[in-house]
Amino acid sequence: MFTYDSYHMPLTLRDALEAVAKLPSGGRVIAGGTDIVPWAREGRAGDVHFPVLVDVSRVDEFQGYDLQGGRVRLNANVVYQDFLDDAVLRANLPCMPHCAIWFADDQIRQQATLAGNLVNASPAADGTPPMLTLNAEVELVRLDSGEIARRTVPLTDFVLGPGKTVLAEDELISAVICDALPGYGGSFQKVGQRRSLVISRVCAAALVKTSADGRVFEDVRLALGGVGPVPARLTDIEDMLRGQPVSAGLIAEASVKPAERVASRSRVEYRRHVVQGFVQAAIEDALAAAGAPRPGQKDREKAHA
Amino acid sequence: MPDQKITLTVNGRKVSRPLNGAPRLLDFLRDELNLTGTKEGCGAGECGTCSVFVDGKLVKSCLMPTLKADGAEIQTIEGLSPVGSDLTPVQKAFHKTGASQCGYCIPGMVMAATSALRENPDADIEEIKERLGGNICRCTGYTKIFEAVEIARDVIAGRLPPVTLEADETSDSFIGANVRRIDAPSKVAGKLKYAGDMVMPDMLHMQVLRSPHAHAKILSIDTSQAEALEGVECVITSADVPGKDGFGVFVHDQPIMAREKVRYVGEAVAAVAAETAQIARRALALIKVEYEELPGIFDAEEAMQPGAPVVHDYAPDNLVKHIPVRKGDVDAGFAEADLIVENTYSTQQVEHAYLEPEAGLAYVDHDGVVTVVSPSQNITHHRHMLSEIIAKPINKVRFIMSAVGGGFGGKEDMIYQGMLALAAMKTERPVRLVFTREESIIASAKRHPARITYKMGLKNDGRITAASLHMISDGGAYGMSTEGVMRKAAILSLGPYDIANSQVDTYGVYTNNTPSGAFRTFGGMQVQFATESHLDICAEKLGLDPFEIRRRNMMRAGSTTHTQQKLETCSIEEVLRVAEEFCRWERGAPTSRGAERRDLNGPDVRQSCTLGARFRMPGDEADEKQEVA
Repeated sequence: MFTYDSYHMPLTLRDALEAVAKLPSGGRVIAGGTDIVPWAREGRAGDVHFPVLVDVSRVDEFQGYDLQGGRVRLNANVVYQDFLDDAVLRANLPCMPHCAIWFADDQIRQQATLAGNLVNASPAADGTPPMLTLNAEVELVRLDSGEIARRTVPLTDFVLGPGKTVLAEDELISAVICDALPGYGGSFQKVGQRRSLVISRVCAAALVKTSADGRVFEDVRLALGGVGPVPARLTDIEDMLRGQPVSAGLIAEASVKPAERVASRSRVEYRRHVVQGFVQAAIEDALAAAGAPRPGQKDREKAHA
Repeated sequence: MPDQKITLTVNGRKVSRPLNGAPRLLDFLRDELNLTGTKEGCGAGECGTCSVFVDGKLVKSCLMPTLKADGAEIQTIEGLSPVGSDLTPVQKAFHKTGASQCGYCIPGMVMAATSALRENPDADIEEIKERLGGNICRCTGYTKIFEAVEIARDVIAGRLPPVTLEADETSDSFIGANVRRIDAPSKVAGKLKYAGDMVMPDMLHMQVLRSPHAHAKILSIDTSQAEALEGVECVITSADVPGKDGFGVFVHDQPIMAREKVRYVGEAVAAVAAETAQIARRALALIKVEYEELPGIFDAEEAMQPGAPVVHDYAPDNLVKHIPVRKGDVDAGFAEADLIVENTYSTQQVEHAYLEPEAGLAYVDHDGVVTVVSPSQNITHHRHMLSEIIAKPINKVRFIMSAVGGGFGGKEDMIYQGMLALAAMKTERPVRLVFTREESIIASAKRHPARITYKMGLKNDGRITAASLHMISDGGAYGMSTEGVMRKAAILSLGPYDIANSQVDTYGVYTNNTPSGAFRTFGGMQVQFATESHLDICAEKLGLDPFEIRRRNMMRAGSTTHTQQKLETCSIEEVLRVAEEFCRWERGAPTSRGAERRDLNGPDVRQSCTLGARFRMPGDEADEKQEVA
């Protein structure tokens, strides 16, 4: 059972940071709340009582996003549904609609924030791989002698391990800042037990930009989640593809290698098998989203033979 | 919990009041505002029975801390068609297509459908499915729900006339006609009260302490600290049972609460009735139970071995029931066969997962009649059993069957009604218990897991000369419906096939697993899985078409079953014909096919899951249908 004594909803950043600085032991910061409320149930954390909850979803500075200089600043209260519903975000973050559509369901996406997903630092967090491909940084904010102090940490350094990040106790995520990549094709692959509302066993994100004639990989970005303690970019595979002519053979070759990276504690063989198919599908789907034809199953088999 | 105040608008009316301990918006709507059309199916955001609009966006109210909605405008199912107004087109369409069965998912489903059409009035079927993805239904298989949303969409858009939503004209016969359910309006409007929605003045809330052990002796139970907690009205254990304790559909082997020992993880050991559910939960933590763990038995076959731990003293061989059925001479039949095929098939435990978790309300009325309101699937039997257990004459025991929010056999067992009755008798106040989803899964009966060993003798032309079927089913810790399930499994075991010589044995066995009980098909599914799988394998070995091997063995009018029933009519021939035609079956033995089957992936075959109807690009449609090797 999820219970609490007092519930704060600060409207300004300063009020939020002051509330966070005063948070008693056992108190928590929440955003959408979609992870913590069901966490306080039998079989997970059991009955959990919070003396104080600080809900940061109404902080004025955390609303909305800005597009500037080839980067998008996604303020902390951007929710997953925004990646589906907002035309500007869809055009500039081409892998995110694909990620969002697989994330929970329409209703939970109205509440669940990207920032909250990143700060939970689950090895299977859906938001981390696509944000890695978008070269995301996390802006952290705290009160330092009464002044609002900010620092920016690359997402690769932000997540330390399962449930662990560099976020200090008195800090909040104020924004996630990432590349704006209009013209790229994006994709997201996910496997779990059900279509909606499932936590990934393995997930993969891809962004692809081809030459105007569609024949050459100008840029490729790939990342995997759920295969080790921390989601990771596949820079070696990206290097292997970048600048090369698009060919089924090359994609097949590139998809074989990432299986070696699987370092999960469970279902290693299964995950290796999935990873190979996912990397291939992620590249193919991203290419298709960029305008290339999608190969059939037979073409795939031929490429691997 | 805080007494912070919340101000919000609910269904157009301003509400301003203290939280009064309601942690989630769902609790506030249900407990404080009595808007019980919003249900709690899982409490974890999985099922969508609690969907409500918050500032125009559909959310799951079980995931929303109450104060998050401060200042917001809420619309619940009750607000879709307020007093004095007609049902909405979506609600009418659900009524029309028969989309509401048990009805428990329906308020949430109607909300999700309403949201889908508000977000995109032209949503196609793929997008509708996608937008309803967060809501689960366990009765309909969704087809009628999707059909309703499409009809509502077209009526709203003016593509279909409003009369489409009204009842079809029926002639004198209802056969072949689309007849609307009479209980649907109350379900689509969220008005129907299930047991967990009911309240009575002065009502207490029950919580149950459950066993953490699969098999253990109870050395002592100390309830004194729990009883001393302010707000606790009573704590009950098996010591409070005044009569002859024991219930079960066939054998009354299960006490109301564990007596002397626990036999499975999740078995009720004690229960608390308190002023609030939160106080009752705190009291559970104060009950001290001393256990002495016993070796457990978790495999049905092992439980049948000599020396296995004994679950019930009355059954030293752990056998709940053995059903033997014999026909003809199997040895002679096997001797006559050209081919003998042997195999073992196993099926797993399955949870019913009805959307309505178990709930009940009990009270002692002015005449001293102990009354239990619950979605029991077997109230008359429950009434008789409870009368013995509480040592009252039958006219002092009453069961009222509330709307069943899905049962599928899982609500046949009296697993909590006895506790409610005892607490109501002890306190003389109404007592309500509502299971959490987790509790429902841990404590309720499951489908019997089975291991079925098959031996079949066949002639080269496919005729079956003999069959023997040996089924061992894990009945779990208590008998429940095991005996009946074994009987039904034995009766249905050999399928609709005329086999001259057969030997069938089904065994239900006690273990320390969660009890198995009634579940749709009542044992039929397990044996059919074995029989039909076995026939496919035999067809492959004999180079026969799978339809053909069935035709050569099917029952006909005049056939005698292995239970000696002479059949006056028989429909399998027609069933096979229609099935073959509808699936565009490519004839031939499984071994004679080429690399590709041409009867797969037709226009009426369900495609694998795809998502992204909202951002699918032109041309994608053709690519989605990938060939299947």
